[in-house]
Order: sequence, then C-alpha cells, then structure tokens
Amino acid sequence: MNFSKQMKEGLVTNNPVLVQLLGMCSTMAITTSFFNGLGMGVSVLIILTLSNVAISAIRKIVPNKIRIAMYIVVIAGFVTCVDLLLKAFVPALSNSLGVFIPLIVVNCIILGRAESFASKESVGASAFDGICQGLGYTIVLVIMSVVREFLGAGTFGAGLLGVDGKGIAIITNSNFHIGVLTMPVGGFMVLGTLIAAMQWALNRTKKAAKEEK
Amino acid sequence: MSGQVKTKEKAVMDPKYLLTLTLKLLITCVIVAGLLGWVNSITEGPITDITKANTETAMKAVVADPASTFSDKLNITDDMVAAAAQYKTTVSEIYEVQSGGAPAGYAVKVSASGSQGTIVMMVGVDTEQAVTGVSIVTNSETSGIGSKVMGNEPLANSGVGVLDQFIGMSHADGDLVVGSNVDAITGATVSSKGVTSGVNGALAVVAAIG
Repeated sequence: MNFSKQMKEGLVTNNPVLVQLLGMCSTMAITTSFFNGLGMGVSVLIILTLSNVAISAIRKIVPNKIRIAMYIVVIAGFVTCVDLLLKAFVPALSNSLGVFIPLIVVNCIILGRAESFASKESVGASAFDGICQGLGYTIVLVIMSVVREFLGAGTFGAGLLGVDGKGIAIITNSNFHIGVLTMPVGGFMVLGTLIAAMQWALNRTKKAAKEEK
Repeated sequence: MSGQVKTKEKAVMDPKYLLTLTLKLLITCVIVAGLLGWVNSITEGPITDITKANTETAMKAVVADPASTFSDKLNITDDMVAAAAQYKTTVSEIYEVQSGGAPAGYAVKVSASGSQGTIVMMVGVDTEQAVTGVSIVTNSETSGIGSKVMGNEPLANSGVGVLDQFIGMSHADGDLVVGSNVDAITGATVSSKGVTSGVNGALAVVAAIG
C-alpha cells in the first residue's frame, strides 16, 4: 500500500474523469451549477468508498462467475441508501440531481474501481482508493460546474444561495452569458479544455525532469 | 488468475457449485435488502413530511383563504373515479379544505392528458362547487407553446391568466368547453383543453361527494 501514490493517481495521473474518461454522462449532465457538481461528487465519493470497502471485504468469497452481479447488488444497495437519505434530508439537492442519483448504479467509475482495484486489494487500500478516486471526480466536477455556471449563466451557487436560490449574480448583463456552456455540448468543451490543460501541465513537468537529467 | 480459470472450467456443471453460487447471491441480496429496509425506516418519516409540505404548498395556491388547513387524504370512492372518468381524467388525491375551522371545500389532484403527456394539476373547489384556483403540479407540454398555459400566461382578449379564468366557474354552469366559456392560448389549444378537462373532472368529483 502506498498512500501518497494512490492519492496522486486518484487526483491527477489516473483521474477518473480526466484520464480514465469514466462517468461521462453524469459529468456532462449535472455540472451546470456549483451545488449540483459538489452534491453529485460527494454522493459518488461516499458510494464509491462504501462499495469499495464492501467489495474488498467479500472479495475472497465472491465466485468469479457471478462477481459482476454481486457487485451490482452491493452498489445498487448503497446508491438507494444515499438516494433515500438525500430525499429525506436534502430535498433541494435531490430535486436538482433528479434521476442522476439512481443512475450512479451504472456509473462506470464505481464498477470500474470495483473490478480493477477493490476486488484485488485489501479493505484499507480499497477504502483509500475510493476516497482518492471520489475526490478526483468531485474536484473535476466542481471545477467544471463553477466554470460553466459562471460563463454560462453569470452566477455562483444557483440552487441554494442568493435571492430565491437563483445564485449570486456576478455577470448581471445577460448579453455576456455564453448560453451554450449550460448545455451538454458546453460540458464537452469545458471537459476537453480541462483534459488538454492537465496533459500540458503533466508533460511540462515530465520534460523538465528529463532535461535536468 | 490462471488458478481461478481452472476451477471455473472444472466446476461449471457441478450442481454443488451452482448451489453455492445461488446461495451466495441470495445471501448478498438478503443482506442488502435488510440494509435498505433499515435506511428506509429512518427516511420514511422525513420523506412523507416533505411530500406533504409540497402538496400543501400546491393546495394553498388554489384555495381562497391562504390560511386554510387541510385534512388528511380522503378515500377515493368508485363514484369519484367514475365522475372523473367522464372527462377522461383520473383523480389521484383529494383533501378537505378548512378555513377558520369551517369546511371550505376541497382540493383535488387530477391528471388529464395534454399535448405531450399527462398534466397533473391541483384544483381548489369551494362549498358552492365553484373553482377557487388551478395550479399545475407536473407537465411535459411543449416549451414555448403549451408551457404558456402551464405558466398561467394572460389571455389575449381579457388579460386574465389562462389558469385564473377558471376561478368562479362552477359545476352548475355545465361543462366547461374551450371556445364557448373557456378561452385558449393561441397555438396551445390542446394544452388548454387538457387543463379544461382536468377542471371539469375535479368539479365532477366534488359534485360526486355531494
């Protein structure tokens, strides 16, 4: 187990969204306001950690043939729990995320980490992997939603903050809003830019390391 | 990994192995179901409260006196179902409205078909069987056309909101018909008709209570 390596992988070098390109559907659909992004990210983080722990704990008794079925049952259980808890205690968030919470069941990040990590590693490492990958997902989602909300609608924190939950208006003149960014196509643009920026930064550090040698 | 593959191949048709598979899957499901039952028992109360609060907000929008209180859900009788069905609508919930302790009518949740799907609306009806208000709960009408009706847009001829025009109309006036005693939003006739049949249905349901 190597915690700092795991952390670096989850956040940067093996980021679930920017490098593994998993969970695209939810990434495009819900990153339209800061609280949606944060809420979705945290929900996935919790579910991913719990399911990683559970799957790692049962990895030795799960027959290879039906492992996917068992993983899905476990993941669906946790997702439904989170869905019910959100509905009961954070109804506003539950309303704005809508169907995307139940859809976490088929979010490939969760099943992907179950297959490639939790089913092989110890419980502790799997829990930490869940947290790291979840954080990586959350951070990307938050960056994307802040950018899209700011440029697309000129607000911050729509849904909870501001007058009538419409968010804090930063750009009030609607002529300066880039409406396309609030649509899925805008999501792809922002995501593409993020991936490019990260690859550029990674390659630059690599090059610098090479030149020093 | 290669060891696993070998066991798999050898054991494929072994009844004992199949039984283990089934049992393990069954046990997992039972444990998960138990967990869900436990979470459900915690969240059931708050979720019911929230749904109730949302329904009350919708009901308060359609009654004459905003300080009204509402009874628990009334039982829906066969008569009510039949009354609503006359207008091709379904009644899903009905509540008794009380204003200052005295009965002040009913709030009826009905669904009618619009142009794109079901329109669910809350209709307030007073003791004289006249409409006190109409509000849309959920709809999937075309944005920019049918949505004008859902958004209570003012009518071209009178300036009254398309949903507000129903206020005061009663079962005694006979059926409400778009074009004669109800006005439609231009271009959104189907959505307007949907809402009208919902109001007709709600009035019929209240008339069935007597």
